[in-house]
Amino acid sequence: MVKMTLIARVTDGLPLAEGLDDGRDLPDSDMYKQQVKALFKNLSRGHNEASRMSVETGPYIFHYIIEGRVCYLTMCDRSYPKKLAFQYLEDLKNEFERVNGPNIETAARPYAFIKFDTFIQKTKKLYQDTRTQRNIAKLNDELYEVHQIMTRNVQEVLGVGEKLDQVCEMSSRLTSESRVYADKAKDLNRQALIRKWAPVAIVLGVVFLLFWVKNKLW
Amino acid sequence: MGTENQGYPNFPARPPPPSSSSPFASAPPPGVPPQSGGFRPLSQPTRPFTPSGPPMAPPVGSMRPVQSPFVSQIPGSRPPPPPAYGGPPGGVGGGSFQRFPAPPPPPFPGAQNPPPSGPPATQTLAGHLSPFRPQQPMGPPPQTSGRPGGYASPPGPGFQQSSYSGVGGGPQPSFPGYPSNQVLQAPPPMPFQSSSQGPPSTYPPQTGGFPQHPGQQNLHPSYGPPTSNVQGLAEDFNSLSLSNIPGSLEPGLDPSSFPRPLDGDVVPKSFSEMYPMNCHSRYLRLTTSAIPSSQSLASRWHLPLGAVVCPLAEAPEGEEVPLVDFGSSGIIRCRRCRTYVNPYVEFTDSGRKWRCNICSLLNDVPGEYFSHLDATGRRMDMDQRPELTKGSVDFIAPTEYMVRPPVPPTYFFLIDVSFSATKSGMLEVAAQTIKSCLDNLPGYPRTQIGFITYDSTLHFYNLKSSLSQPQMMVVSDLDDIFIPLPDDLLVNLSESRSVVEAFLDSLPLMFQDNVNVESAFGPALRAAYMVMNQLGGKLLILQNSLPSLGAGRLKLRGDDPRVYGTDKEYALRVAEDNFYKQMAADCTKFQIGINVYAFSDKYTDIASLGTLAKYTGGQVYYYPGFQSSIHGDKLRHELARDLTRETAWESVMRIRCGKGIRSSSYHGNFMLRSTDLLALPAVDCDKAYAVQLALEETLLSTQTVYFQVALLYTASCGERRIRVHTAIAPVVTDLGEMYRQADTGAIVSVYARLAIEKTLSSKLDDARNVIQQKIVKALREYRNLHSVQHRLGSRLIYPESLKFLPLYGLAICKSTPLHGGPADASLDERCAAGFTMMALPVKKLLKLLYPSLYRVDEWLLKASVDHDDVKDVLRRLPLAAESLDSRGLYIYDDGFRLVLWFGRMLSPDIAKNLLGADFAAELSKVTLEEQENGISKKLMRLIKKVRENDPSYHPMCLLVRQGEQPREGFLLLRNLIEDQMGGSTGYVDWMLQLHRQVQQNA
Repeated sequence: MVKMTLIARVTDGLPLAEGLDDGRDLPDSDMYKQQVKALFKNLSRGHNEASRMSVETGPYIFHYIIEGRVCYLTMCDRSYPKKLAFQYLEDLKNEFERVNGPNIETAARPYAFIKFDTFIQKTKKLYQDTRTQRNIAKLNDELYEVHQIMTRNVQEVLGVGEKLDQVCEMSSRLTSESRVYADKAKDLNRQALIRKWAPVAIVLGVVFLLFWVKNKLW
Repeated sequence: MGTENQGYPNFPARPPPPSSSSPFASAPPPGVPPQSGGFRPLSQPTRPFTPSGPPMAPPVGSMRPVQSPFVSQIPGSRPPPPPAYGGPPGGVGGGSFQRFPAPPPPPFPGAQNPPPSGPPATQTLAGHLSPFRPQQPMGPPPQTSGRPGGYASPPGPGFQQSSYSGVGGGPQPSFPGYPSNQVLQAPPPMPFQSSSQGPPSTYPPQTGGFPQHPGQQNLHPSYGPPTSNVQGLAEDFNSLSLSNIPGSLEPGLDPSSFPRPLDGDVVPKSFSEMYPMNCHSRYLRLTTSAIPSSQSLASRWHLPLGAVVCPLAEAPEGEEVPLVDFGSSGIIRCRRCRTYVNPYVEFTDSGRKWRCNICSLLNDVPGEYFSHLDATGRRMDMDQRPELTKGSVDFIAPTEYMVRPPVPPTYFFLIDVSFSATKSGMLEVAAQTIKSCLDNLPGYPRTQIGFITYDSTLHFYNLKSSLSQPQMMVVSDLDDIFIPLPDDLLVNLSESRSVVEAFLDSLPLMFQDNVNVESAFGPALRAAYMVMNQLGGKLLILQNSLPSLGAGRLKLRGDDPRVYGTDKEYALRVAEDNFYKQMAADCTKFQIGINVYAFSDKYTDIASLGTLAKYTGGQVYYYPGFQSSIHGDKLRHELARDLTRETAWESVMRIRCGKGIRSSSYHGNFMLRSTDLLALPAVDCDKAYAVQLALEETLLSTQTVYFQVALLYTASCGERRIRVHTAIAPVVTDLGEMYRQADTGAIVSVYARLAIEKTLSSKLDDARNVIQQKIVKALREYRNLHSVQHRLGSRLIYPESLKFLPLYGLAICKSTPLHGGPADASLDERCAAGFTMMALPVKKLLKLLYPSLYRVDEWLLKASVDHDDVKDVLRRLPLAAESLDSRGLYIYDDGFRLVLWFGRMLSPDIAKNLLGADFAAELSKVTLEEQENGISKKLMRLIKKVRENDPSYHPMCLLVRQGEQPREGFLLLRNLIEDQMGGSTGYVDWMLQLHRQVQQNA
């Protein structure tokens, strides 16, 4: 069963449309929406490899396809046939490109194509029941192949980005700290020098001063 | 000199005072040739000036520098003003200038001039005119105060010269004045000489400092010269002679001279002129456009300090609020106080930083928003940025402002189909109206719609688009409500259009034989809530009888006359069952706004039902004793308006105030989500909210205060937007100025809301007394302000700006929620009117309080051009019985109904022409229809025009003949608020009462 559907632009993660009353009867829908957002963010940073992917999360599974810089994502039960889910996304994609194709790149505000939600709603209902004649026919359609599509875990997917971030952060911290270290070392060096020569300089100074005073007075 | 110069840098930082400088040079005194004007005085008080003559000779050029020190002197001298003021009158005029901030000396010429000598007298005049002046310059607009009072002083040779000498003298003491306060001494030639030497070296820095301002100056390009002071003085207060002793009517008492708002609501103009970049008064109206500078001053201002906000007010063609999209840079807001960028922010550091006008924090300008500044400190791209030039803008909100994708506009109907609903014809009218509005519901193609009907059971309707006919499901278990169908109770209108239409067509027929009189309102409400809580939206409840079954069952209240007049009386006006408040809270949480339509002729406990509307930002429509033949039109128009007007969904509103001020309380229909966040599930152009302000600090250090109203909402088209209104108001130290800048409309609006809230916790009498006491206190304070130097005797004095306040106060006391006793209005009527008035915008409320009365028979007979406006052809009459002539035909219009009053001796022709055949019948049974003749057509055109002028409610047309009791009394006579009716006071008595109370312990 399709639980929620989101469409976003890959280049910047801007949400373009979302299914109406998604997340109904879903106790922690907010958490999953957060995960989807994180996923989109990852995608926009270019961490993605495949244009079609399934990502497991808890009892559910995200399926997404990326086409024409737009990501179509849906969340289903794990038991829901993968084939149907991808055909559902395929349907959405065709319609979305047909209706909004030329405007996708120029959309500036979030949910610019929210009107698409009625179509999502309608299509979702068609795919709701896996045992309708139509859906069984689709399942048996050998032409549509989904076996190659990779399945990964959400932690893994989100983790990649996180780990990279961590490494980035650590290395930058390292550089900045080494710079601090260099500065401190230089400073210490200077201080040591001063400490070493200052008494000598002072003594010499006093001596010269005395000499000078003496010369002056006499 | 060096030290003086160090003082200057301060000067640009202060916005207002510089104002005095430029006009000083550019606007010479009237009658004095502009250029040489500055020098004329030189010849007058010769001794001090002569030495300065030669160096100053080069005309304006040198004149200009001179004034600057004079200006800078003002800030410098601010702290020690009072001593300066009391100084010997011989003190030079310049001294008087320093006294801008002096304690408010009463602004009457001649009132307070102690010294008899000519020139000094005018100097004091200048000095004490100045108290107004500084208030005006409070804001950035610079030009104003430059005109030292002397300029505007009454013309006359002595005056001009001496006043000028005052001005000319300004510069000279300013120099010695800097180091100390010796300004008051007669100016010794010495310092002046030094000043004349000074210019080359001293002045450049000042003039250099000046250009830093233009940024601000430019902000107010359209600022015009102020009206002359003399006028200001004349208008400063009004008085009414109320010399007669109550009981004995002296000829001196002339009710016709009493002020009456016959021109309708007048918005104070000066304020918007002063700050052209403020948002329009239709969005935000301050009760006074001069904010008190200290708590002590605020406490002396007995009127409310606050504002009335109508965030979505309808803008006339061409003045729509511009829509701004910041794109990827996000909305520019202050880091600390979250203020939105607005015309009053200041860009500095060559455009890289901006200073928040509310908390004065320096923020970075994001790269995408960067623009260079021109020489005057103005952004180059100013003209392309509406948010920097307009007080009202709509920002497109980025994702951070969304908890979920923008919801589609959702309309859900909860319709009572019990016996009385079908019998009265309500069901039919409602179904027809909804059907006719389907095309115009906002938000096509996403609009969602759904229905539940109920009597003793609940009926759900499956409106799935694939069905040809709607399916009805009946749930009779009222204790444990469940939704019989997961989807398809709330459907997309564009897809299920045919099913919805089929449903609405069959709805009246389905229940036409229904004899069920029960009403399971509570369970139905809960069911609607369960269906809607995913999306939120607007819930329209059409209720016909007292809820009698299930949760939220109400019982008959208010039939016990013994309760009235006791301390328990108020309980009748508040919801009895906590169920309603709880439901309202739940609905607000899920963004459901509720509008209640009540139709019953019997008691329906509007007090309880209205609670639903009150806390969800909705409104109550009440049609007592609904009959489709009489009220059909009204319901049709108002329901259509409710369905089709532009609505903002899932909104929240916050009002930000400048430092030192905070909003202390809010009044209106909404739910407070946190201390200052108003939750408004559905808000539209007909809703206004009042806010009261309080000073947080004992003393405000700033010269101006800013207000910013921000409404975050989802537009029907699915865009999330933020509507921002920004306004600025000067801070003043003078009570008189506060009175001068008061806005009666806003004050009355706040008072009305306070009074209605008061009726929810005490007796009607108490609420009325509170209003009266408040007005008395304000007038007494005003009297004290002026009585010192005027022998006012037994005159009632009031500020020009508040001349209508007493009358509106009386009107509030006589309005439906407050007037009379239990017999004068039914409980439901009172409560419904109360809920309605809590949401009304200022203009509409004032019209309801003081309705218009026109005489139309002469106009009808006159063959005039028809296209002229109502206001031009018809003269509003005072609302008193004297205005009614038995030979005339009158129209009474309070915005909610039109009453046509036929005089007893009205020429039968007119009546026949208007009413057709049944002109002699009892008018309560006659409806006004267009007849085939000129007069009737003309009248219908007029009525149409009146209705079009204000579409928020549909005034129902009622006819009444003179002497037709009790209808006449109920429809018209009771509303003639200037008359004495029953136990209530008339206008004259009211004024006398006020006057007496003002004078007591004055």
